[in-house]
Amino acid sequence: MLRVRLSFLVVSLIAVAIFYRIGTIQLVEGEKWRQMSEDINLQYRPVKATRGNIYSANGSLLATSLPFYRVAMDPSVGKASVLKSGVDSLATRLAGFYRDRSAAAYKRMIMDARNQGKKYLILNRKQIGYQEKLEMMTWPVFREGRMGGGVIFEKIDKRYRPFKNLAGRTVGFLNEDQYGVGLEYSFNEYLEGRNGEALFQKIAGGSWKPLHDAEDIKPTDGYDIVTTLDVNIQDVAESALLRQLMNKDAAYGSVIVMEVSTGHIKAIANLQKNKNGYGYGEYYNYAVGEQGLTEPGSTFKLLSMLALLEEGKINLRDSIDTGNGSYKFYDRFMRDAKNGGYGKISVREVFEKSSNVGVSKMVHEHFGHQPHRFIEYISQVKLDQPLGFQLQGEGMPYFKDPKNKDWYGTTLPWMSIGYELKVTPLQTLAFYNAIANDGKMVKPLIVREISRGNSVEKKYQTETISKRIASEKTVKQLQSLLKGVVESGTARNIKNETYSIAGKTGTAQKLENGRYTQKYFTSFAGYFPADRPKYSAIIVIDSPKGFNAYGGDISAPVFREIADKIYAQDMEVQDKPTLEARHPASDPEAFPYIRAGNVEELRMICNSMGISNHYTGNETWVRSTISNKAIHWVSNAVEAPTVPDVSGMTLKDAIYILENKGLRVQFSGKGRVTGQSLPKGSSYRKDQVIKLTLS
Amino acid sequence: MVRVKVWLEENLKGDPIIWAIVLLLSLISVLAVYSATGSLAYRKMGGNTEIYLFKHSALIISSLVVMWAVHNIPYKYFSKLSLFALWVSVPLLLFTYLFGSKINEASRWITIPIIDQAFQPSDLAKLALIAAVAGMLAKRQRQITDIRITFIPLLIWIGTICLLIAIANMSTAVMLLSTCLLLMFIGRVPVKYLMVVCMVGAIVLSTAIFMGQRGGVFFSRIEKFIDEDPNEIPFQAKHSYIAIATGGITGKGPGKSEQRNILPHPYSDFIYAIIIEEYGMVGGGVVLFLYLALLYRGMRVVAISTRPFGGLLSAGLSFSLVIQAMINMGVAVGLVPITGLPLPMVSMGGTSLIFTGISLGIILSISRGDHEDAFLSEEKAMGNMVKKVA
Repeated sequence: MLRVRLSFLVVSLIAVAIFYRIGTIQLVEGEKWRQMSEDINLQYRPVKATRGNIYSANGSLLATSLPFYRVAMDPSVGKASVLKSGVDSLATRLAGFYRDRSAAAYKRMIMDARNQGKKYLILNRKQIGYQEKLEMMTWPVFREGRMGGGVIFEKIDKRYRPFKNLAGRTVGFLNEDQYGVGLEYSFNEYLEGRNGEALFQKIAGGSWKPLHDAEDIKPTDGYDIVTTLDVNIQDVAESALLRQLMNKDAAYGSVIVMEVSTGHIKAIANLQKNKNGYGYGEYYNYAVGEQGLTEPGSTFKLLSMLALLEEGKINLRDSIDTGNGSYKFYDRFMRDAKNGGYGKISVREVFEKSSNVGVSKMVHEHFGHQPHRFIEYISQVKLDQPLGFQLQGEGMPYFKDPKNKDWYGTTLPWMSIGYELKVTPLQTLAFYNAIANDGKMVKPLIVREISRGNSVEKKYQTETISKRIASEKTVKQLQSLLKGVVESGTARNIKNETYSIAGKTGTAQKLENGRYTQKYFTSFAGYFPADRPKYSAIIVIDSPKGFNAYGGDISAPVFREIADKIYAQDMEVQDKPTLEARHPASDPEAFPYIRAGNVEELRMICNSMGISNHYTGNETWVRSTISNKAIHWVSNAVEAPTVPDVSGMTLKDAIYILENKGLRVQFSGKGRVTGQSLPKGSSYRKDQVIKLTLS
Repeated sequence: MVRVKVWLEENLKGDPIIWAIVLLLSLISVLAVYSATGSLAYRKMGGNTEIYLFKHSALIISSLVVMWAVHNIPYKYFSKLSLFALWVSVPLLLFTYLFGSKINEASRWITIPIIDQAFQPSDLAKLALIAAVAGMLAKRQRQITDIRITFIPLLIWIGTICLLIAIANMSTAVMLLSTCLLLMFIGRVPVKYLMVVCMVGAIVLSTAIFMGQRGGVFFSRIEKFIDEDPNEIPFQAKHSYIAIATGGITGKGPGKSEQRNILPHPYSDFIYAIIIEEYGMVGGGVVLFLYLALLYRGMRVVAISTRPFGGLLSAGLSFSLVIQAMINMGVAVGLVPITGLPLPMVSMGGTSLIFTGISLGIILSISRGDHEDAFLSEEKAMGNMVKKVA
């Protein structure tokens, strides 16, 4: 028991020592520690999560966050030996890098700060990029890291748009007060990620120094969003719109291009005259937003025709007397654009020539005693409801109610030609798109997917708003009417031989301070090719100047220009698929040597040469595309049970892939593959011969 | 009241003072951990501080249940069980070292499949080694000075287990080695042999330092502790002192700690600093006293127990618990270099709380006294058999 007691005594002594230390810390050293607690200013501060990227439909970056770094140093951290041997060379590198002061000055700055016991020294306020940071991390002293050499890289994320202002208002922005527009704002919840937290110490000069190397709570980076926007179409739309706006010195204009069957928005352009009166820029999304609500004018006549046809009251061959181009409803004159009027014409001609008198007379005759029926047709095609579009701030359509006091006898006739009501261009387009889509109305879609890395978080499928907005017969008749407008009506000027367009012009007099002015709001809504619609689009141009201020003259040509370019570019739209073997286009911008191959090899080459390149897929074989001076690898589906596309590959790679698929390869020439005898995507037999041409 | 008392006497056997101490410490633990996780919970769980309160309370209660269950087991079984557990812990420790999950670059944890609970095999090894050493010492009391029979097997086991623990967790190994030394000292092993153990231990531990994962950390901490430059006090120590100094005599009050936001692991390694910050020198003194009292009661069991195994086991386990507590508190006040040992029964922590519960259960089982009879009956039976054979 003696030994037990002895042991207990020892532990008791330790306990006494602990208690004694508490006493010492509290009473003897107390003042010092309490003072220190006042001095040390520590705080948990957020560590920003990296914001997600916004991609176009084909994977081009529309907006991304690039990391930049500010280089600082805790000069007290490094061991004397590390600093002694490395500081000269480090100072030389710093001087060579920043070129703002001499090596001696950098050395003096670091050593002085160390001798003064400083814990934080900003080496230079200039922000450096990631590649530069990687390089700096190999420099003497710096290579010892945060804890060994004391280097601090403070990350600052900057939002960067590779395509500058392309689709600027649609991509949008978000400022620090959480005010923003467009996708950046509407999808902020996904893009922003979750900030982490780390312990920071306040240092002289009001800045904060991270205390540990890693964050205490890691930030979760934001999701990427993949839009349906097509960079090429967007570019075409913007430049075509801009040219016309400048020609006509118009106030603003908008273009929306949409894929008929899916509702995918391929382009949204909004251009508005700059405040100083010169040039145009994107300041508001008139295509979608509240300020884009306008009296649409004649494009709305499509709805009037739909109501009349559905009601079964008219036949396209009926004739209507539009008289001398002027007709009095109660106290107001309805006038046609043509002086002297169109006289007696058919219903079809009423629409094709866009006769206000004709349409309003028919609507007044058939719906005048029951205006609510007309309103019901508006509801039937869902024009009275916002579309629930993915961008925030969609304009709310405005229609008068027959039961209200502001419903006059003249309301219905004027409504039938697109006045006394307000809709956005996007809502009008959704209606036209439904006609193009054989009556099926789909919801316009601009964000297709939300993902992080290779995993998809959320997919947005095309939603059907209405399976059928009108009977099949009516839809067919409306389609033929729209085709007629271009064939022989107000948009004759955009008719062409290669492919057919269907659509409707619109010219609305602008209402300012309660009076209709001599300013016009011109529009063209339609789709192409007319018999197998692939894309629909609407063009609106506000207050063009000059003699011909009609939709047919102002907006329709823009539609034509955009349609021409898309048609030339997009093979699928073309009626006759070309059977030629595909040759890689000799695009002067294309990367000259690497066109296709094994992704790992290609990336290695590019990385070692310092060529910026991106790849997000997981296929082994890729081909290159150029986006923003960087190479973007797209997967080259060689796994499919059809003949793969080997153009642009080296012979070695092409043989490897083709022989593995059981094909026999014959080739001529040298260099890279420029042609293959079996077209890509076609089926083949085992041991079939494929001839490759190389050059 | 009477019924409660009767129920308590029937169900909570063994030393009532140990029961009281454990319950008191558990209560302090819930309060202190709840406060210390305040900021942590706020940050990790998006403000739901109750999650940690429930989690920790559930663990405390389970460890009490385990303790109650163990105290009903006659302690003689632990002798054999401990040897079995020792054999199990060797591969477990190896496995953990090679494949375990790394927290702060030391692999000390493995995750038990199915229940998905992180588990530190060194907890099991520690308990098993102490029980085994107590068992071996008790069995060989008569040949205690015999090097070959008594000393060598002891040395081999202690050396192996300490080495395996040391490669990943130096402080636990040092603490376990000193507990074993103390146990051998109490078990009447001659002091000159203990010197040998010290030597071997030093060699083993220094080997582990060079082989192990955390050698660098170990040296830098010792180095920093020894040449203490007043301006170079480690970050944790500085804030621990600030917590203690600003706590004053009576403390800032429950839940008012400020250093919990800054000290790393305020709910485990530095919980003593948080206790002093919130409950002052008085609170710190009470906790210190409770551990001493626990040790004292554990020692009394040694005096009561007629069996050398019971006495040695109780002494070993009480010392192990209390030494760990002293080290933890010593770190907080700067007597000991910074290590990551939790404060037994008080710190938040999964399986280590359960193992503490087992240790306390064993001590209680020994303190009951009635389990001694189990030995007697067994011996009688053995005696009878011997007679029959004869």
